[in-house]
Amino acid sequence: MSLSKIVLGICLCLNLLCVVACVPVQPWERGNLAKPQMALDPYPLQSALRAHNYGSREAAAGGNAAQGGGCGCY
Amino acid sequence: MRGGKSLPHPRPLPKGERTVRFSPTEVGVFKAHLSLRVLTAAALILPGLLQPPAQAADDDEVAFQYSHYQEGRREMFGSVSQFNPIEVESVHGGGKFTLTDRVKFAFNYTQDTWGGATPIATLPQAFNGNHDVIDYSISPDTKVGASPYLSPGSVLFDKNLHPVQRINDPNGIGEFNGAFFRRNNQLVHTLSMASPEVRKQGDFKLGYEWDESALDIGGGVSIEDDYESRFGNINTRWDFNQKQTTLNVGLSYTHSSIHSILDHDAWPYFHKDEKYDNLTILEENGGTHLISGTKQDWSAQMGLTQVLNKNAVLEASLGYTRSAGYMENPYKAVNVAFIDPTAQDPNSSCPEAAIDLVCGNINAVMEQRPDERNQWLGGLRYVQHIEPLDAATHLGYRVFSDDWGITSHTLDADWVQPMGQGWTITPRVRYYSQDAADFYTPYLFSPQGEHSNVIDDKGRQVMLDNDSFDPEKAPHYFFDPNTGQYFDEQNNDVTDAANNGELTLFNQTQLFDRKKLPQHFSSDHRLSGYGALSGGVTLSKQFAKGISLDLDFEYYTHQGSLKIGGGGEGSFADFDYWTVNAALKVDLAALAFSSGHKQPHQAHHHPGHAPAGVMFDHMLPKAGDMMVGYRYQWSSQGGAMLNGLNAVDNPSIIAGGCSGNPCYMTPDSMAMHMHMLDLMVAPTDWLTLMLMPQFMDMNMSLRGLSTEVINLGNLNGHYGHHVQNGHETGGIGDLGMYALFKVLDGNSHHLQVTAGFSAPTGDVDIQMRRNHQTDGGFIHYGMQLGSGTWDFKPSITYSGQIEQVSWGAQASGTLRMEDQNKSGYKLGDIFQATAWGGYNLTPWLTASVRGVYTTQGGIEGEYPGAHSDSANLFINADGSPTSILKFGPMDYSQNYGGKYGDVGFGLSASVPSGNFAGNGVSVEWLQPVYTNVNGYQLGRDGTLSFTWSYGF
Repeated sequence: MSLSKIVLGICLCLNLLCVVACVPVQPWERGNLAKPQMALDPYPLQSALRAHNYGSREAAAGGNAAQGGGCGCY
Repeated sequence: MRGGKSLPHPRPLPKGERTVRFSPTEVGVFKAHLSLRVLTAAALILPGLLQPPAQAADDDEVAFQYSHYQEGRREMFGSVSQFNPIEVESVHGGGKFTLTDRVKFAFNYTQDTWGGATPIATLPQAFNGNHDVIDYSISPDTKVGASPYLSPGSVLFDKNLHPVQRINDPNGIGEFNGAFFRRNNQLVHTLSMASPEVRKQGDFKLGYEWDESALDIGGGVSIEDDYESRFGNINTRWDFNQKQTTLNVGLSYTHSSIHSILDHDAWPYFHKDEKYDNLTILEENGGTHLISGTKQDWSAQMGLTQVLNKNAVLEASLGYTRSAGYMENPYKAVNVAFIDPTAQDPNSSCPEAAIDLVCGNINAVMEQRPDERNQWLGGLRYVQHIEPLDAATHLGYRVFSDDWGITSHTLDADWVQPMGQGWTITPRVRYYSQDAADFYTPYLFSPQGEHSNVIDDKGRQVMLDNDSFDPEKAPHYFFDPNTGQYFDEQNNDVTDAANNGELTLFNQTQLFDRKKLPQHFSSDHRLSGYGALSGGVTLSKQFAKGISLDLDFEYYTHQGSLKIGGGGEGSFADFDYWTVNAALKVDLAALAFSSGHKQPHQAHHHPGHAPAGVMFDHMLPKAGDMMVGYRYQWSSQGGAMLNGLNAVDNPSIIAGGCSGNPCYMTPDSMAMHMHMLDLMVAPTDWLTLMLMPQFMDMNMSLRGLSTEVINLGNLNGHYGHHVQNGHETGGIGDLGMYALFKVLDGNSHHLQVTAGFSAPTGDVDIQMRRNHQTDGGFIHYGMQLGSGTWDFKPSITYSGQIEQVSWGAQASGTLRMEDQNKSGYKLGDIFQATAWGGYNLTPWLTASVRGVYTTQGGIEGEYPGAHSDSANLFINADGSPTSILKFGPMDYSQNYGGKYGDVGFGLSASVPSGNFAGNGVSVEWLQPVYTNVNGYQLGRDGTLSFTWSYGF
């Protein structure tokens, strides 16, 4: 899959979603959005560790450069 | 508020208020801070180069995390691997701080120690890459382990190049000379073992925030013995559309250098090439084979986050990474089956050709990967609030593609369910599938001989005279197979001389032609086609006062059969692992809030701070108080070897350091790093309970004692290995549990008694890896991570202060409560007495001087099998067994313990007010002034202690 296809696909998806789903949300309506469980990554410490494990075990997850450093050669 | 009024725009609100401007009572709810999370989550999407998301500046927070990774045993198809599967212990500590309203700072430190069995190549099972180790003392059929074997030599295939194995069973594919054969296509990894290795990483991030945008710069370094990376990154964020839309753009760069010493126990058994393998042979260093290279990664990424409605958010991201340089794994080889079409003559070179078998030869070369890699990533992440349950679900999809031919897809989902009273449970599942890299292959075929006869341009075989061994200088002869004639370099016919024995000629041979192998190849199963399924759960509890504890578990299984669309690698490459981790987070903002807004916490420290190296020096003042602290200690040993009080030279060490046994090497330097967490809580005014987990790592360098012993029998290889590489260990240490009792608590005088136990959670059975057909044996006593015994640790501490002057004294002991640990020995008891004086240079800074006297007994008992296990003997050149698995003084229990005197110089500071009120830091250097060791031991350089504590 080429880069341009990925870009195009994602842009299309996002546009489409926003056309059908985007609703203006006023600041006082954002109570749910601000809850901890609604964070894009609610557990960053744990997901960093998992990313490091995946990075040293999977070709697509960074391989030798996992998490900015480390060979992960094992 | 702190200067914000002078700005044209309202000051940036604390993170909690960023996305929603609600009343202060609701601030606590809004710790999600969508916009900044976006930035970090986007960093997660692009693996590798960008700062991990844990580093995001958020609310001010200090976090500690411990994790354990454990792989399952690999399928060996009949062989018995004596190597334990890979285990990794990691510890992480970090902090995020608001320096000013708009400036944030975050730092992290991570340390991993790993060791265990890892695949180095792949071979058909028929070819026996895992050479069985037989314990003949039991029976010729008793397999006690397997040695990795990269060059099993001659092998057989059938006409379709299926591997063929000799068997005893007549129901095979044929019989030849009384032997039977069968096809066996089963592949199996060749497993090798790595001794423990340590990686350390430190990184930081500095951020500046405007009202609707932010800029972060970060950087860090990761250090291993053989691999070092430095990285930097820059990320920006823009908010649009009343912060309903956020755009993140980031750029990062990583520079890595590889400096890997090839295992001397392996390199004689595979083919190396200086040009192909970036190899340098350091002749002056005993012929050490060094692989060196550099690698650079540039990465760019972009993420767009859109609030879809009041219950849903969508993020889309894109990333591109370009990597260039040395991308091989220097410890992976690829087996090559050389099949020489000219050597299949049933009458001579390949008798089995008579029953239609093909003869080949197996050896190995180092893997070769392209020097460039372009990687693209696209990701979508959707977060939906589930109103009736107040839960949230996260759904993610990622696609990855690179020019190595790998495309992968990742799907993940979780469900974050708050359960009341601060509890949250989050189950999650993930699926990953990848195609194989174009150059992935379990092993290679090459239609040429591993060694073949040199043929001249006339088609004649080039011959050498038996008397001269140098193929370059030797007089060459030529054999014409068509006529059966021999010629010398002057073209004289020497057939008679060759035939009557006057000349003894043999074929000049050459190594295979590298150019006939593919340009790139790797049998690393991470580059194969497979799928992976994993799932786990995070349980989180938010305690009062801003402390939270997370426990996290995950199970992961990698299987060829799970690949999307099938066609994945065979089951031999399957493996699984589980991880468990615990994280403790201290929310500094919430703490300050709950404890009454920026009140100084001096009351929680003694008025005069005890020096950093003193433990149990203070109690919490009243029931309900808590304290979190971090304690770091670095001890260094080096210089001359000592016997008692005196420095000794090599002959003396050889004469006395090893109980009359040969002494091969001695420590040259040793360093120990300890990271300890202090967790204190006061159930009543007079009692404080304390839990102290420890994480430690040690490294020792060694030097040889005499050049003569280098030639001693099979110790030869061991010797070079230990001297060149030194030894490393690391992991969790013993767990301390203490009760501190207040005896006297006057205005100027304080007296407290501590009773505690140390639980044997640190390993005492770490062994060095087997090499040269000999087990490595237990690592030196002083490098095990714990005592292995339950220990009683009492102490009594007195301290006092009048105005600017403070003083104190402490007596403490460590008594082993068991006769021996599981490895057959016990460390000596310890008694320590110390006294100190301090002076307050300013109201917040104290200087101290301290004296310490310590006495520690020797080790009693010793490792099992240290004398009797005949399977593990080192054999001297004269054939006599040595005292086995002991290299030098550090392996003899009588060379432990001693009497020590030290003088300490320290500084302690506590922050009385402002953002960091309640924080205290201390540092102390302990300088040895008196060292009287038992037996023969390395001298001492000193000890540095650092502590940080936060009381609330």
